[in-house]
Amino acid sequence: MENTVVKIENLVKRYGELVALDHFSLEIKEGEIFGLLGPNGSGKTTTINCLLSLLSFDKGNIEIFGKKMTPVSYDIKKDIGIIMQNVVVSDELTVRENIDYFCGLYIKDKDERRKCVDDAIKFVGLEDFVKFYPKKLSGGLLRRLNIACGIAHKPKLIILDEPTVAVDPQSRNRILEGIQELNRNGATIIYTSHYMEEVEQICTRIAIMDKGRKIAEGTKDELKRMIKNTETITIEALGLEDGVVAEMRSLPHVYEVRYDGKLLIILCSGGKHNLIRALDVLQKRELGFGRVYTELPTLNEVFLEITGKALRDKEE
Amino acid sequence: MQVFKLFMKVLKKNIFTSMIYIIVFIAISIPMAKSASTEKTFKDTSLKIVVFDEDGTDASRALAGFIGKKHKLKTLENDKDTIMQALYFQSVDYVLTINEGYGEKLLSDDTSALFSTYHMHDSYATVMVSQLLDTYVSAVRAYSAGGAELTDACEMASDAVLQQAEVTIARSKGSENFSESTAAHFRYLSYILVSVIINALCPVLLKLNKKEFRFRTNCSCIKPTSYTVQLFTGSAVFIGALWLALMVVSVVQNGGMFSGIAWYAVLNTFIYTIICTAISLLICSFDPSDNVVNLLTQIIGLGSSFLCGVFIPQSMLGSGVLAAAKFLPAYWYVKVVEMLSGAEVFDGSKLAVYLLIEAGFAAALLMMSLVVNRIRYTSAAIKLPTLRKEAQQ
Ligand SMILES: Nc1ncnc2c1ncn2[C@@H]1O[C@H](COP(=O)(O)OP(=O)(O)O)[C@@H](O)[C@H]1O
Ligand SMILES: [Mg+2]
Repeated sequence: MENTVVKIENLVKRYGELVALDHFSLEIKEGEIFGLLGPNGSGKTTTINCLLSLLSFDKGNIEIFGKKMTPVSYDIKKDIGIIMQNVVVSDELTVRENIDYFCGLYIKDKDERRKCVDDAIKFVGLEDFVKFYPKKLSGGLLRRLNIACGIAHKPKLIILDEPTVAVDPQSRNRILEGIQELNRNGATIIYTSHYMEEVEQICTRIAIMDKGRKIAEGTKDELKRMIKNTETITIEALGLEDGVVAEMRSLPHVYEVRYDGKLLIILCSGGKHNLIRALDVLQKRELGFGRVYTELPTLNEVFLEITGKALRDKEE
Repeated sequence: MQVFKLFMKVLKKNIFTSMIYIIVFIAISIPMAKSASTEKTFKDTSLKIVVFDEDGTDASRALAGFIGKKHKLKTLENDKDTIMQALYFQSVDYVLTINEGYGEKLLSDDTSALFSTYHMHDSYATVMVSQLLDTYVSAVRAYSAGGAELTDACEMASDAVLQQAEVTIARSKGSENFSESTAAHFRYLSYILVSVIINALCPVLLKLNKKEFRFRTNCSCIKPTSYTVQLFTGSAVFIGALWLALMVVSVVQNGGMFSGIAWYAVLNTFIYTIICTAISLLICSFDPSDNVVNLLTQIIGLGSSFLCGVFIPQSMLGSGVLAAAKFLPAYWYVKVVEMLSGAEVFDGSKLAVYLLIEAGFAAALLMMSLVVNRIRYTSAAIKLPTLRKEAQQ
């Protein structure tokens, strides 16, 4: 389990003036579902493209399966499955023909290939659509076809670049479960996304990137331990006086309190019973309040604390 | 083979509009074959010539008589508009005015301005009649210089030249293997070739050469050169099959297997097919959208056909148009067809030059597409996606 599958060292990639990857390093072990999390434009796709030798880079070193990766490393490429960010299929081929085409780029033997294609169709659940042309598929089904094309040849390393963009929740869950199943069957997974919930849900280890740099790395618990925030308490309460807010601020473990006249947000760092203490303050003064809830930190808080900005814009 | 098979499948889905071109072409071309046989031989041996004798001497009458022996003499009102109209509708082929003083000039050494003529420029008729007149005049002068009376000299010249003219016509007899309707068929064929090839080949090459598709393929075990070779093979098979099919249609249209000079027409279409392929490759190297490809098919297909005399005989196009058309390959293609059909005097070395010019166009277009590809791959290929991204925002 401890074999290194992918090793990226000090990767630098420039597009003219723009530094897309800035001394980026990464090590991925066999059997991991490795999440590459970062906002749009942070360099995830560029990393993948460099990893696959599709792009040349200015500096750095890339090894896959312990061997140096080059554009002609066909012995490495045969064990990699790639699901690109944009759906790459041929509109002129049916679902089945598409999977067969991409599988055929790796597997020459016809019988073996037929079996692989059947497996892939079953795996993504497109049995009822084998004769369909891609134009007739919904966004979610199209994504699943894209995945089937990438995994049909049973690769050891599977790279998925934002496979759930523009996908309905049902297809999304199916895709995420599928990825976990592939992993259980022995494949190492690299998964890029700007949806932190997904990454949190399935990834065993996560690297967060921003502006071409890796800003944090670890399991999701490790990442959350890196930051001050351990609990965020939200209380609906109208027209609180400044004194109340000030008292909240002086409670132990509380390091920040925000209030906009309706919602009281209390950020805590460590400690237990933070919620009880906060509600005590209100009860003591016989102040009413509406809904109350507390949240453990998400990767968004991690990202927010390290970069000072939200992982993604509100409207997304 | 994977990529080759994909090429064929994608081609199959994109060939529908091209089939329409070909079906319309067959529907127009084959029925024309029936009316083919009669017209040509007549036109070769006898032209319709109008002679205005302004000299009125024995010598000029002898000349008119001489022409009458070989060709059909027609009468026409001596009025520029009437003459032009008659020439345009081909009710006469050549209008000759024997200028005043013709007889005297024959005896002196002055052979300038013996005649004024009206004709379609560069037509076979023109060349033949001018040649005939030249030989006749030299013969008369030679005989009279030899001491013969002018009237005798005219008679002797007439006999001698008529024999020679027989030979001239015998030499261009090859055009019997190439009727006027076959010529029309081959001219129209150039329009079909350029339209069908651009229309069918470009979408396929564009799809399979799209950056994402190539990226995705480059992740696999297929070598990029193998990919390119398979695309090339696919294109070659398609082009070859198309050409063969159209040649079969041409044989049917011709009413039998080609013979004699008609084989030059076959060679001509083959070279032109390569030119069309090169044009398609050049278009593809700019990575245009489907709409642009459609538009270019129309512009290149119709535009060069009208400019270069595919739909209208070259002899009816203005000299300005023809001068510009020389820079288009279709012009040289049509010129070969015209020469084979006898609209221009057959000359093997000239024909070779035309064919070589076409081959030159093919080579130049191929080079250009290579250069454009090279430039786009090294610089613009990196910038283009961002430009598109910006355009979307
Ligand atoms: N072909 C390219 N040319 C120039 N800049 C590019 C190109 N591709 C990506 N970039 C830039 O590089 C940065 C990283 O992009 P990308 O790797 O696509 O990010 P992500 O996949 O994380 O959204 C972005 O700022 C993007 O605009
Ligand atoms: Mg991306």
